[in-house]
Amino acid sequence: MNRRSQLAVLIAALLPASVLAKTIEGVVLNSQGNVVTNAIVEVEGSEIRVTTDENGRFVIVDLKDGLKELHVVAPGYAHLHRDIIINNDESHSVTFNLKRSPIEVIDIEATPIHMSAMESASPVSVLSGEQLRRQQAATLGDSLEKLPGVNTNFHAKVASTPIIRGLSGPRVLITQNGLDVSDVSRVGPDHSVASEASTAQQIEVLRGPATLFYGSGAIGGVVNVVDNRVPTDSTTRGEWNVEHNSVDNQKVASFNATTGTDSFAFYADAFWREADDYEIPVAAELDDHDHDHEEHSGDYTVANSHEESDGFTLGTSYLFDQGFVGIAVEQFNRQYGIPGHTHGGEDEHSDEEESVFADLEQTKVQLLSEYNLDNEWLNKINLRAGFTDYEHVEIEHGTVGTTFKNETNELRVDLMHNSFSKWNGGLSIHYKQSDVEAQGSEAFTPPSETQSIAVALMEERHFGDFLVQLGGRAERVTIDADNVLLPNIDAHAHDDEDGHDSHDHGHEHAHEESTDIIRVFNAEHEFTPVSLSAGVVWDFAPSYNLGLSVSLSERAPSASELLSFGAHIGTGTYEVGALFDMHEDGHLGLSEQTIDLETANNIDLTFRKTQGDIGFIFNAFYNQVDNYYYQIDTGLYAESGHDHGDEHDHGGEHDHGDEHDHSSELPVYLFKTDDVVLHGFEAQVAWQLTDEFKVDVFSDYVRARLKDGGNLPRTPPLRFGTEFSYQTEKLSAHLHVTRYQEQDRTAPEETTTDGYTMLDASISYDLSVLNQDVSLYLRGTNLTDTEARVHSSFLKNIAPRPGRSFALGIRGYF
Amino acid sequence: MTKLFKLKLIALAISSTLITACGDAETNIVEKDPIEVPDDHDHGDNDDHDHGDEYTIDSLGRLVVLAGDSNTASFFDLDDNALLETFTLNNDTNTLSSSPDFRYAVIANRAQDYLGFIDGGLWREDHGEHLHDYKQSPAAISYELTSGSRPTHLVKHDGKLAIFYDGNADSGTTASVEVLTDNDITNATATLPGISYDINMHGVAEPRGEHLLSTIRRDDADSTSAAKILPDQVGVYHFHDGEYELEQTLALTCPDLHGAAQNHDYVAFGCSDGVLLAHQHDDEYDAEKIANIDAIGDLRIGTLYGHEDSETFIGVASGHGGGPAVIVSIHPEKAEMEELEWQLADGASAISYSFSAHGEHFLILDSLGFLNVLEAHEHDGEMHWELAGQVDITEEDITTMPEGMKFTMTVAQNGQFAYVADPIAQHVVQVHLEDLEIESEVELTFAPSAITWLGIAQEEEEDDHDH
Repeated sequence: MNRRSQLAVLIAALLPASVLAKTIEGVVLNSQGNVVTNAIVEVEGSEIRVTTDENGRFVIVDLKDGLKELHVVAPGYAHLHRDIIINNDESHSVTFNLKRSPIEVIDIEATPIHMSAMESASPVSVLSGEQLRRQQAATLGDSLEKLPGVNTNFHAKVASTPIIRGLSGPRVLITQNGLDVSDVSRVGPDHSVASEASTAQQIEVLRGPATLFYGSGAIGGVVNVVDNRVPTDSTTRGEWNVEHNSVDNQKVASFNATTGTDSFAFYADAFWREADDYEIPVAAELDDHDHDHEEHSGDYTVANSHEESDGFTLGTSYLFDQGFVGIAVEQFNRQYGIPGHTHGGEDEHSDEEESVFADLEQTKVQLLSEYNLDNEWLNKINLRAGFTDYEHVEIEHGTVGTTFKNETNELRVDLMHNSFSKWNGGLSIHYKQSDVEAQGSEAFTPPSETQSIAVALMEERHFGDFLVQLGGRAERVTIDADNVLLPNIDAHAHDDEDGHDSHDHGHEHAHEESTDIIRVFNAEHEFTPVSLSAGVVWDFAPSYNLGLSVSLSERAPSASELLSFGAHIGTGTYEVGALFDMHEDGHLGLSEQTIDLETANNIDLTFRKTQGDIGFIFNAFYNQVDNYYYQIDTGLYAESGHDHGDEHDHGGEHDHGDEHDHSSELPVYLFKTDDVVLHGFEAQVAWQLTDEFKVDVFSDYVRARLKDGGNLPRTPPLRFGTEFSYQTEKLSAHLHVTRYQEQDRTAPEETTTDGYTMLDASISYDLSVLNQDVSLYLRGTNLTDTEARVHSSFLKNIAPRPGRSFALGIRGYF
Repeated sequence: MTKLFKLKLIALAISSTLITACGDAETNIVEKDPIEVPDDHDHGDNDDHDHGDEYTIDSLGRLVVLAGDSNTASFFDLDDNALLETFTLNNDTNTLSSSPDFRYAVIANRAQDYLGFIDGGLWREDHGEHLHDYKQSPAAISYELTSGSRPTHLVKHDGKLAIFYDGNADSGTTASVEVLTDNDITNATATLPGISYDINMHGVAEPRGEHLLSTIRRDDADSTSAAKILPDQVGVYHFHDGEYELEQTLALTCPDLHGAAQNHDYVAFGCSDGVLLAHQHDDEYDAEKIANIDAIGDLRIGTLYGHEDSETFIGVASGHGGGPAVIVSIHPEKAEMEELEWQLADGASAISYSFSAHGEHFLILDSLGFLNVLEAHEHDGEMHWELAGQVDITEEDITTMPEGMKFTMTVAQNGQFAYVADPIAQHVVQVHLEDLEIESEVELTFAPSAITWLGIAQEEEEDDHDH
């Protein structure tokens, strides 16, 4: 099932295995003494990279004098690090023995320093290969949720985004090949991420502050979706997949292919997916007032959870001796229902619910280039540029309710220097400009332009058994909005005991004047966030290491956190940004607080066993975030302004009582800042029992609390799970059990969520058809058909996880 | 409207700089010219009307009374029982009802293919930050519906009115349905959403949120109805992109379908062999039939009453052309039908039925001049409708009832009142449904043939009634 890097094998085979000046030749063996084919041997601080042939042999030629750090990587094995000193006209013959690693180790792409689950000071996870294919889902959040430290905000399957160590939204950056995905998913939980897992090659997760690499939006972590859209080689290869899923009648088809000539490489991918409303084991609403529970005969579904998406990417690159330059264009379309997008939130009459759906469209152009040069100082320049035009409209009753737009330009240049007294690393220059606007009834954030420019330096060096990784970044962020609106919303409290609310409103809010005004402001913000990070990894004993990482990260608040003022139907709240504040008389005006940066002080401790039949990774972290921007419930209500002139007004012959008085009102949530402490752990143990059997155990936990007491909302509960894997040449089977504990550490507006256990299993069988590797698979999820409500979801009360489902699919590789 | 006041540019710059450990944040805010919001900004109509300091109005509402001897509609103010305005109607023999939100009087004339509207002048708008009530004089408006043939059954539910046009086999016109709201009347919407059939029928449509449950007449060869003009199927139509589309046809047939009602969970249709129930699950409806009980005998349930908050429906079974009626309650969840313990007194026939505004009472006005008020009571977990009391609404000799006239009734949607018109005494009495007493009278100078209540409906109060 390995994708063969045939070109590399060919090159290696063509080279005479004889003595050449300044060469390193060698063989890579495993601990049983058998040869390891397709192992990659790379020289750090250079672009030299060779692959072992069928005899496990490799040759590296044309080396300069000096110390060479070799890095040997092969799937299923622990990475090996070895220093070799090259002198004049000397050739070296070496043997590398790789040890098995039951935890797959994959390097993260596109960081100037080396990052992997086993080797770096700060914790990362990478999902790739078969594991990615097994876990990929319609949304990024659901695809990644089995990774330690990563949860989904499970937005009824249609718009789930990842939560990293309890943080999400503007604190978790989603990137595609290292460039901002540039959608509006950071602004609302009902907004889908404009990225697709089924055509991705690997998905990388940086847990904890990663502002160093990516800037302000990455204070909680980064998810980088990597694909081969700008091909770096022209080896012909590809992958296709067709699948059907029972719970939502989901049909998926996808492919990706790369080919080319000596100088040009071409890439294409496409996917298509269609899913109906998904079935659930119980009634959708947690607090269902229906009288007919027991008599319910048909299947329950989550209304309006259907989804339809498609997209394609075309890319090409020019390959030359020193590197490549290429460009790719992607078109991404997605239509999905927005469950729970009721106007006024608590309406339990499903028949009254308006079906709202989102129609998302994005065009993404990426230009990627790598240039290896023979310069005294620099050895490589990486250039990434992106242009993204995103638009999504929310459609109600066939008419456009709100339009969200995001137009982003981004440029990132990494200058990688030659080893400088054993320090490897580079300087990164990063510019990003986005215009974001929302027009229509849900335009809760005024149009704004955010620009950032940053300079970062990242370096690493081995000192004997110690690896030291250091980094610093300075950034300038400006947020300009020339039309910030402050309407007079007349927010008011609800008196629950009083049936005559509507009358009281009239009296309370009698105005002396009958003309309202909306105050208008021009707001300009300028922030200079700085990030510093230092980490050390100590290989204190063979096969073991200990990592420590400390960082200070600053984040500029996002436009929506500052400037919002309006109904956000996705969360069922009336959002008011930190620019505003509640005055003593209860009306909202400009805040007298200074707008400040959010600062995270994070310590990460990692203990790993990197090789052998048992491998493990234990991470513990403590993250104190000062000036954490979050929303508090003001206890007041404001009119959503969303359903005027709408035919669904209650008030006909059949009035249903008091609650409908407020049917179009939303609770007012105000952005405030406070000091917050997040701490927790991730644990991962893998035990290779035999060549075929493997057991994985994992657990993660995060406690997210306000320093002065109280909990943050939607914090994932303690979780633990295990996976049993059985793998032979042809057959692979996995059984996955995850227990989510009850979450009773709740924010004031939240309720406790019950725990549940998810049981998933999958089996796949490989066969060769027409010279292609083909894999047939059957995957069952939620086999016990349990009711699973996700505490971290905004839709906890109305959209549990899907019921039992079987997916049948076929996948081919060529 | 109000005087516009000009605000000069306030250039208020708040600038703050704060240096933290490393980073730095600066905010600069300049206030610009504010935007003035006209009072009615959410509604687009700039009606000129003054309102006092308060936005809500306490009013008992208005009463529309059709005269038996002339084609006029008179509007009375129920706060002082004074005549406000009298309008002359285009035709004789109209039927009178109210618009879904009780702002307009709906004048229907089946024979003339005509529906007209008169603005009652009392309504509520939701202005976001407050509810805004309006009180104006009743006014004639030009909006009318004349395109459908034979408007017959008008069904209101939750802000929508479904008009079922029967069509006419003789003139070759087909049946159709139009759905309208008070807003459509206000805005004089030219084209209303609805259904067009390719055959005529005496049908009925129940509006229900995005759905419209409407009858379907099949080919006579397939139809299970004895009278083929009566449909025998029910279709679920869903509102998409401005039109209703047939999404589902209920699995069970309903021979000789006549009469329909709905509550919070069910829609009920009267059939010759029982009551067809449609139970909503999201966008789909399950069908179930409750067979007629023995008490119904040769009769059939041809009229149904329901209320959003009432678990049970009331069905009236009668023979064609009148005769004694059997009144039953239908409990959809238990799939039970039960004859009411209470039945009409000898010599009395029911002439009008209605649920009270919040569904806790069921009112039966009989030909002897008694308003029978029933209340739902629970006994051993079973709901039964029992007589709470009778109100004798007339002191006159009922044998002096003018030829072709009868008592009529309407229920106020903002309190515990029902109004009963007495053609003999030429007045309308206001009956308090809890106290079972007549509290006031609206004096008329003519014999009333129909009455309806208009005004601002009130949300239900928290009270102690059984539900």
